[in-house]
Amino acid sequence: MQQSQPILELFPVSLRLVLERIPAFARETLEEIRIRENRPLEIGYGSRYAFVREDGSLTELGHDAFVPGKEHCRALLERITNHSIYAAEEELRRGYITVSGGHRVGLAGRAVLDKGAVFHLRDIAGFNVRIARARIGFAAQVLPGLLDFKARTIRHALIVSPPQQGKTTLIRDLARSISSGQWHHPAARDWGSRKVGVVDERSEIAASDKGVPTFDLGPRCDVLDACPKAEGIMMMLRSMSPEIIVVDEIGRQEDAEAIHEAVHAGVRVLATAHAAELSDLFGRPALAKLAETGIFGSYVFLTRDGSKVNHRIVSAEEAERQTSRSRLRTIAATPRDAPGAGGAQPEIEGSGLPGQSIVKNRALPVIRSPDMRLSGGSEDA
Amino acid sequence: MLKLVGALLVLIAGTLIGLVQSARYAARPRQIRELLHALQRLETEIGYGQTHLPEALKRISDTAPPPLSLLFSDISRSLSKESAGSGETVRECWERIILARWPETAMKNTEREAILRLGATLGGSGREDQLKHIRLAAIQLQAEEAAAREDQRRYEKLSRSLGMLGAALVVIVMI
Repeated sequence: MQQSQPILELFPVSLRLVLERIPAFARETLEEIRIRENRPLEIGYGSRYAFVREDGSLTELGHDAFVPGKEHCRALLERITNHSIYAAEEELRRGYITVSGGHRVGLAGRAVLDKGAVFHLRDIAGFNVRIARARIGFAAQVLPGLLDFKARTIRHALIVSPPQQGKTTLIRDLARSISSGQWHHPAARDWGSRKVGVVDERSEIAASDKGVPTFDLGPRCDVLDACPKAEGIMMMLRSMSPEIIVVDEIGRQEDAEAIHEAVHAGVRVLATAHAAELSDLFGRPALAKLAETGIFGSYVFLTRDGSKVNHRIVSAEEAERQTSRSRLRTIAATPRDAPGAGGAQPEIEGSGLPGQSIVKNRALPVIRSPDMRLSGGSEDA
Repeated sequence: MLKLVGALLVLIAGTLIGLVQSARYAARPRQIRELLHALQRLETEIGYGQTHLPEALKRISDTAPPPLSLLFSDISRSLSKESAGSGETVRECWERIILARWPETAMKNTEREAILRLGATLGGSGREDQLKHIRLAAIQLQAEEAAAREDQRRYEKLSRSLGMLGAALVVIVMI
């Protein structure tokens, strides 16, 4: 909320005049501002969207909305790159620019290819300004569910949600709580704080300005800004001796390998990933592999209801139980390894989880699960 | 007596006019040269340092001599974050400041056009493209510099002596 004033400074005057006049309720919950050349100006607020008329009022229909033109787009691009597009070529290649304050601007335009790889973006005609907010206190609800009382730290955790549900906001506040020793749990009062290493590939967690985080991440936090995740995790391990590593949006094979490395080096990992449900998560190859080896002690799912973010913590065992069924089905084509793989997982550090049944969670009963319909269907096909 | 004082005044004024004129002829190639140095610096900042434009212009203004340093520091200041409220693009602010400050330099309109054209593209494209534009502006300025040196060689002494001689002529006619 307090962030939304400076972000308007990014916009060229003519656009700013329009955006300054949007109603207060929309401004307070503003999440996205989407500018598309010669198409209506759109904002996303409180999980809804609306087009903006020239006088700042909102409308559901786009036909009488304010339409930004070529000059607006040019000026906006110039301003978000600090008048230096030449210095942002790498960011253009990746398709987004992070501006000061941690806000991320996604870009769409025409890709210029060089030897088959995206070399540059030109004719940029679509902007998605995502507004970053520090919501201090968000972690207080989630953190107690992630604690590992035996090791007096947190379990390896993966925060999962579709885009736009507050993953980065949550992980930022978790990093802050951990590095300042606010565990939000009576049993953990004397644990002290932990060294946190943040690998901030997209400069979104810390929003570093010349290497110094602009968001409050607590006193014991080291940030590796704009560093590729896999490499960054290794660099952190080698040089900064973190106790907890925080990374955003994992999903590639290298990331998974680096996380393996970190876990076996005795470092706790706190990561986020894009997925809506457990089944999606296990559908992504690198993540599925990571989850199968049973690294993560818990999964946090975020869903949004209006402007309120709900979370649900699922322990590894539970996740296992929910997914082994579907995984068995997919593995059914390759017989034999299914029970082995299923049985190997639940041995993770879940022995004394609160609210967890201690019954060994073997994948066996699943065989008679009512999935005949589905598996039968696939056989028919 | 009064006549003598008047004649002396006319003589001094004429000589001064001549000196000022010849100083302008001498200053123009020098300033073009300084501008070329500034462009070269900008090329390095953009090509190798990937410095952001406001910062690059500020560094240039720190090293450039007076009339140019003011020019660049003004542009840098109005592009930097403190004055982000104005929402100006590089082209607008470059144009505004160059047009306002150009009379303070000894350079002529042809140089100004080259610099304005550079300002219209600065910051607005990829690195290679930027370097090309800067080089293009530099080539134009080099041609102007050669012409300016020629002018200087031809007219610097001439205008100096012309000022004094013209004044002398006026004095003779008056007497």
